[in-house]
Amino acid sequence: MIPQKIICVDIGSTYTKGAVFNPTEDRFNVSARAVVPTTVNYLPDGFYKVLEALIPGSGSKQAYDKAEFPVFFSSSAKGGLKIAVIGLVPEMSLNIARLAAFSAGARVCAAFPYRLGKANIAQIESLAPDILLFCGGTDGGNERYALENSKMIAASKFAGTIIYAGNNFVADEVAETLSNKDIVVTENVMPDFGKLNIEPVRDAIRKVFLEKIISGKGLDELVKKFETLPVPTPLAVFNLAKAIGENVKDWDNFAIIDMGGATTDFYSYTNAFHYDGETVMKGILEPILKRTVEGDLGMRVSAESTYETGTDYFGSIGFDESKLNELKNYTLKVSESPEYLPENEKEKMFDRSLAGACIYHSLLRHAGTIEEVFTIKGRIWAQIGKDLRKINKIIGTGGYLAAMGRNNEKIIIPSEPSTPCEKIPLLPQKFTYHADNTYILPLLANLAEKYPKQCAVTAIESLINEQQN
Amino acid sequence: MSTPYNIVLGVIGSDCHSVGNKILEAYFTENGFNVTNLGVMVSQEEFIAAAIETGAKAILVSSLYGHGEIDCAGLREKCIEKGLEDIILYVGGNLVVGKVPFEQVVEKFQKMGFDRVFSNEGSLDEEAELLRKDIQERLK
Repeated sequence: MIPQKIICVDIGSTYTKGAVFNPTEDRFNVSARAVVPTTVNYLPDGFYKVLEALIPGSGSKQAYDKAEFPVFFSSSAKGGLKIAVIGLVPEMSLNIARLAAFSAGARVCAAFPYRLGKANIAQIESLAPDILLFCGGTDGGNERYALENSKMIAASKFAGTIIYAGNNFVADEVAETLSNKDIVVTENVMPDFGKLNIEPVRDAIRKVFLEKIISGKGLDELVKKFETLPVPTPLAVFNLAKAIGENVKDWDNFAIIDMGGATTDFYSYTNAFHYDGETVMKGILEPILKRTVEGDLGMRVSAESTYETGTDYFGSIGFDESKLNELKNYTLKVSESPEYLPENEKEKMFDRSLAGACIYHSLLRHAGTIEEVFTIKGRIWAQIGKDLRKINKIIGTGGYLAAMGRNNEKIIIPSEPSTPCEKIPLLPQKFTYHADNTYILPLLANLAEKYPKQCAVTAIESLINEQQN
Repeated sequence: MSTPYNIVLGVIGSDCHSVGNKILEAYFTENGFNVTNLGVMVSQEEFIAAAIETGAKAILVSSLYGHGEIDCAGLREKCIEKGLEDIILYVGGNLVVGKVPFEQVVEKFQKMGFDRVFSNEGSLDEEAELLRKDIQERLK
């Protein structure tokens, strides 16, 4: 039985947003929305303000009637869930560990292959991630690095939670060495060479998020009051992407780009490898739903690094030297005032170009590559990473893309690299762009796990089909 | 028998001969080895990545299309650089083009750092026995 009214709230690092949904058999209609600044010192204050704005009288701290309207919420406050990953070979266990952390809705703040040195430990101590995801070695495989690294971590000042998901033959020994720390042991992310086993790590991360990370920010109060468990915002969007891919007709090869001031998140839903008789897959076969996060690509806090990364892209869309200089000055200005909104047509164009660079580079990094190999049987292709060529729909969400969509501003998403590459990137070739103009997806996404079908249908209906590539 | 030894198997370079590779996988698995088979068209880096992650005691390289010498050069050095100083390297197949006496082929590949070199006419039973011995010797 679906309740008559559902409230969803997303606590972001800048704004706390909420919406009231009125469910019918097959979709959720939005009947009210509200936004207030996030109350960073005590998150429930902003949360109650949103509730009060949505349904007057509901935002008091008095008893709450769950039967009347259940509340779902997500949070990316205080920068979200921060994870550092440790693996062995960069392309193998370390890569899988990163994928696992991303798909649990985390931000990867550092990644360390092989043996941890003193400098690595110092970096972990100063970054102070919420979780250290410790992987490496197949089951029954390499033991040396896990044993040595566990000693280094045990002697460190790291005070967060360690999730061990490496070679299970030494799990007991690692847990013993790290018994002075908060440690959780779960299944290996790569039990056999090249084989992914991401779900147990995702579960472990989610549990740690619920048990440890939400306390102390006031979120635990909301959990008690509303008898509901929060998810990290990107995990909600991840669940929504899964729901869309599994439930909506013609949506089985798509991507979602969620662009913010500091990061760009990229989600792809498509088979990683399409067997065609002349391409061989090298390295790991990535999952059908994959998320990556780029910490140096964003519209404000990361504008300067976006400019540095995007130089070639800007050139390819017609920026000459003087225009590049202007853009550079603009990025310097906006990176210092994250709240800044463009004031004239030129600045709007700069924002559009920055958005294009964020999309292009997050896409390029998310995508795999192929290269030509000549064998005695003729030419074949060797593929590394995920094939995005079949993606035929791209959803743009996040505050900036929503605003650009509302203003009918067009963003150029190239299907070819802007500079020649040695290996050919497997970018989407022919796609339609769908803008989340009402910026409803992150709120709706809260319902994706419980009501996947209705949630997915509503999400797709809310999008504005803007442009053809 | 104690825990089976982990070994890595594959056909190096741009070589896509897959039949022998499948036979080797089946044979060594049946004879008590824990085989990670990388299949065909395997680069040196892939062999090494697999050997590190699986903690392999030996890498068995096949080459059947005559370019073995170019493909295999530098594998031992790369292994040492990646901390696999003690790994056993075997190579076998049609290693060179033309009618080079097999003793010369063996010499060539041993100089490159391979522990044993096999032609395409050996007995697998003998090979497995040698491998087991070599691993035990290396573990001492």
